[in-house]
Amino acid sequence: MNALYIVCGLGLTALVAELFNARKILSILVILGLAAAIGLTIPELGTSISYFTNMVLIDNFSMAFSILIMAVTILWFWMAQDYFNQDLEHYTDRASLVLFTVAGGILMVSFNNMAILFLGIEVLSLSLYTLAGSKRDSLASNEAAFKYFLMGSFATGFLLLGIALVYGATRSFDVQGIAASVVIGSATLPAFFYVGVLLILVGLAFKISAVPFHFWAPDVYSGSPTSVTAFMSTVVKIAAVAAFVKVFSVCFAEIAPSWSFVLKIIMILTLAVPNLIAAAQDNVKRMLAYSSVGHVGYILLAFLAQPESSASAIFYYLCAYSVASITAFAVLLQVEKSNSGTDIVHFNGLFKRNPLLAVGLTIALLSLAGIPPLAGFFAKYLVFIQAIERGMISLTILAIVTSLMGAYYYFRVIIAMFLQEPAGDTLTVSASQKILIVILVAAMFALAVLPDYLLELI
Amino acid sequence: MTLYLFYFLSFLAILSALMVVFSKNPVHSVLYLIITFFCIFGHYLLMNAQFVAFVHIIVYAGAIMVLFLYVLMLLNLNSESEPHKNNTLKFVAVISGCLLMVVLVAALRGTDTMMLQDNGSKIGYVRNLGKVMLTDFLLPFEITSILLLAAMVGAVMIGKKSSKTTTPQ
Repeated sequence: MNALYIVCGLGLTALVAELFNARKILSILVILGLAAAIGLTIPELGTSISYFTNMVLIDNFSMAFSILIMAVTILWFWMAQDYFNQDLEHYTDRASLVLFTVAGGILMVSFNNMAILFLGIEVLSLSLYTLAGSKRDSLASNEAAFKYFLMGSFATGFLLLGIALVYGATRSFDVQGIAASVVIGSATLPAFFYVGVLLILVGLAFKISAVPFHFWAPDVYSGSPTSVTAFMSTVVKIAAVAAFVKVFSVCFAEIAPSWSFVLKIIMILTLAVPNLIAAAQDNVKRMLAYSSVGHVGYILLAFLAQPESSASAIFYYLCAYSVASITAFAVLLQVEKSNSGTDIVHFNGLFKRNPLLAVGLTIALLSLAGIPPLAGFFAKYLVFIQAIERGMISLTILAIVTSLMGAYYYFRVIIAMFLQEPAGDTLTVSASQKILIVILVAAMFALAVLPDYLLELI
Repeated sequence: MTLYLFYFLSFLAILSALMVVFSKNPVHSVLYLIITFFCIFGHYLLMNAQFVAFVHIIVYAGAIMVLFLYVLMLLNLNSESEPHKNNTLKFVAVISGCLLMVVLVAALRGTDTMMLQDNGSKIGYVRNLGKVMLTDFLLPFEITSILLLAAMVGAVMIGKKSSKTTTPQ
């Protein structure tokens, strides 16, 4: 709970910072504040307390995901210095919107009441719509914001209708209350209850950008400023996936047969379609957007195999995925800055221009592709183990095939970086970004060496 | 008496909601939407939810609809300037919309009428609503303020003229 207070407080502080001309220290303040929030949350691990008349439940699930969200946000603030420094006018506004997004994310992982879930999603989305359009002179950024806003509002409508129908059937907004009436009355629940469950599924599938509700993702991801794209494909994805897992594993686990078939089709499409399309992309930013949609497929596979007990595998997957994504985007930002573009040709010969960036991006892409001994490999391995334990052999084979397709398009970038002629002069990077990339690469190896510690968190 | 009122309001609400979708002129759509809102206002009153009813009128029919009308007038939209939509898209949209309607109607058709259990609690009164908002629903109430603040910051950020790019007119 302290984490939520601190993040909201930081958001308000960021707004006021403009008055006191405190822009320069704001980033450091935010990073320190988030670190303090993590520091306050860690000692509470192992407890399970509900606050505000059962509105939020702070247990290991919520704390683990909150810590992950805040840790990735710290790395993001470190990475996105340029995003803030380019346009000083709205520096503090953007910082506060990012922090409100994080607050929404924390609510989405610790809700215990459908009202909080809805408000969390809205706080997160509304701030994000603006951030997507924060590059005001760019048409693509405006289009991304508008598309995201329209589609997002529409999806929220589905979610709300679903929550209303479920409330009508169970007379409860409380997560435990819904779960209890599902267990007691699964035979007598009216038909519209199941429609409600499916509508909630649709609304949340939009938020995690699962196929066929992913149409917004590539356009929004590639139109937004690159730093915001990095934020969307890591922090926002973590929060959305955790909310999805919590709703369906706590509330509706008892009636899994009624939604697991729909989710299975969504999962198969999410594995196959984005990986196929990503292979045809020549723009690395757009390719990463499709690949981030594709990664949801593996998470859904783990969840579908064992709805009740897959949270720790999903948590580990998201850790590995977000560290690798942040690394990839950190390099992407530097390349975009020097070449003003993110096509594969702009990555040609990056190794000769700046070896550190090239090696960092290579390790990140290998981790995303799931090559041992990196964290991404163990994450995929855990997912496949979960699926095989429940006898989902054919789906596991499909997932392995799609991850091989993933390896193909990641390797296109790697080959361009190492074997092509340089696309520009030597690329210089500021010292802080160098340190960040070294830390991120170390984290990818550390996650691979110490998965047990993370797996035991939940 | 209230039963007939209920049927009348429901009929009018559905009719005007359909007219919102089908009328070619966007201004007519907005006006029909206002009728729909007033019908829903009547429904809220029938359910003894006075506060929600009046907020509904003030916020939706009052503020938001006037905003819609202004936007329509500013953009100068009319039936001719409506962009032509792809026929395949239209077809897919009609099919999926009808499927959703069939599912919803089929799901709601078989249900028993659930009566409102109102033991004289005056549940929709402002006093009770305020009490619940500041006790049981305190956290959502406070989070809403964060939501509104975020929306406000976003609106200012998008709408404010940039001092760098302003050119004298």
